[in-house]
Amino acid sequence: MTPTVIAYILYAIFALGGVGLFLCVPREHPRRLVLLAGAGLGGIALLGLLTLIAVKHYVPDGHYVLFCFFAAIAVGAAGRVITHPVPVYSAVYFGLVILSVAVLAVLQLAEFLAIALIIVYAGAVLVMYAFVIMLVRQQGTSVADVRTREPLLAIAASFMLMGAVAGQIGKLGELTTVAPPVVAESTAVHVPDAPAEPGHTDNTLNVGRRMFSKYVVAIELAGILLLVAMIGAIAIARKRVPTERSGPLPSPIGQVGRRVPPY
Amino acid sequence: MVGLAGYIAVSALLFAIGMVGFLTRRNLIIMFLSTEIMLQGVLLNLVAFSRLHGQVDGQVFGLFVIVAAAVEAAIGLGLIVLLFRRRGSLDTEELATMSG
Repeated sequence: MTPTVIAYILYAIFALGGVGLFLCVPREHPRRLVLLAGAGLGGIALLGLLTLIAVKHYVPDGHYVLFCFFAAIAVGAAGRVITHPVPVYSAVYFGLVILSVAVLAVLQLAEFLAIALIIVYAGAVLVMYAFVIMLVRQQGTSVADVRTREPLLAIAASFMLMGAVAGQIGKLGELTTVAPPVVAESTAVHVPDAPAEPGHTDNTLNVGRRMFSKYVVAIELAGILLLVAMIGAIAIARKRVPTERSGPLPSPIGQVGRRVPPY
Repeated sequence: MVGLAGYIAVSALLFAIGMVGFLTRRNLIIMFLSTEIMLQGVLLNLVAFSRLHGQVDGQVFGLFVIVAAAVEAAIGLGLIVLLFRRRGSLDTEELATMSG
C-alpha cells in the first residue's frame, strides 16, 4: 500500500469515527438505539485503525497487544468523557484515560513520567475535580449538560485536524519500515537483561540528570509558577463575592431544573 | 512492536476528542476536562518522539506539561467555584454578558 492509499483509508476511518461521535453527543431526549449505533461505529473505526497499524508495518507481539488494548481504552474513555451527561461519570472516565495513557507511556519506556502522571493526575487533579463537581452540584440535570453547541461543526473541525495528521501517518509508515531509528532493537525490548537502548537503561536517573543539568532554570521557573498558583488559588478562594441570586437559596422541592436568569 | 505512527494516531485522536468536547459542551467543568484530555494527547506525543530520538528531553517536557496542567486545574477550578457562587450556574451560554 502506498502512503496515499493509507491516507485514504485513514480518512474513511476518521469519518466513521466522527459519525459515531456525532451520534453519541448528549441530547435532551437520548435514544438508546442511537447511542448504541454511535458507540458501534466508533468501535468499528477504532478497530479498523488498530488493524491498519498491525497490517501495515508490524508483527503482532506482546507490545502490540498491550498497545491496542490500552489505546482502545484511552480513546473510548475519552469519547465517553465528552459524551456523558453527568459530570461525575465524566471525571471517572477521565481517570481511566489517565491510567491508560500512563500505561502507553510505560510502553514507550517513560516509567518516571508514567508514575508522575498517575500520582499528579489520578491522585491530585482528579480528586480536585471530584470535589468541585460535588461543590457545584445543581439540582436535577442541568440544561447545560444535555444541550450541545454546534456538534456537527466541531466534529468537522477535528476531522480536518485528523485528516492533516493522516497523510503524515501514511508517510511515516514508509519511513519507519525503510530506515527504522528505534525499531531496530524491537526484539530486545522485552528481554529484561538486554538494555533496549543505551540511554534508557535507567529512565529515572536519565530524566533526573537531564532535568537538573540542562533544564535547571526551567525547573526553578516551574517551582515559582506552582508557588504563584498556590497563592493565587488561596486568594481566589478567600474572596467574598456578592451573589447575584435574589433571596435565599432555592429549595430543591418544586425548583428542580430552575434556570437562573441571565445577568 | 508499534512504532511512531500508532502513538501519533492515538495522541492525535485524544487531542481531537478533547477539541470536540471543548467546542460542544456547555458545562464549564466538562470543558476543563476536555482541555486535560488534549494535554494527555500532547503528553503521549512528547513521549513517543522522546523514544524515537532516544533522548529524555521529551519526557522532561512532559513533566513541565504536568506542572502546567496542575496549575491550570488549581486556578481554573478555583475560578469555577467563585463563578458558581456568584451566578449559580456553570452554563457557558448564560455567561454572555460580553457578547452584547
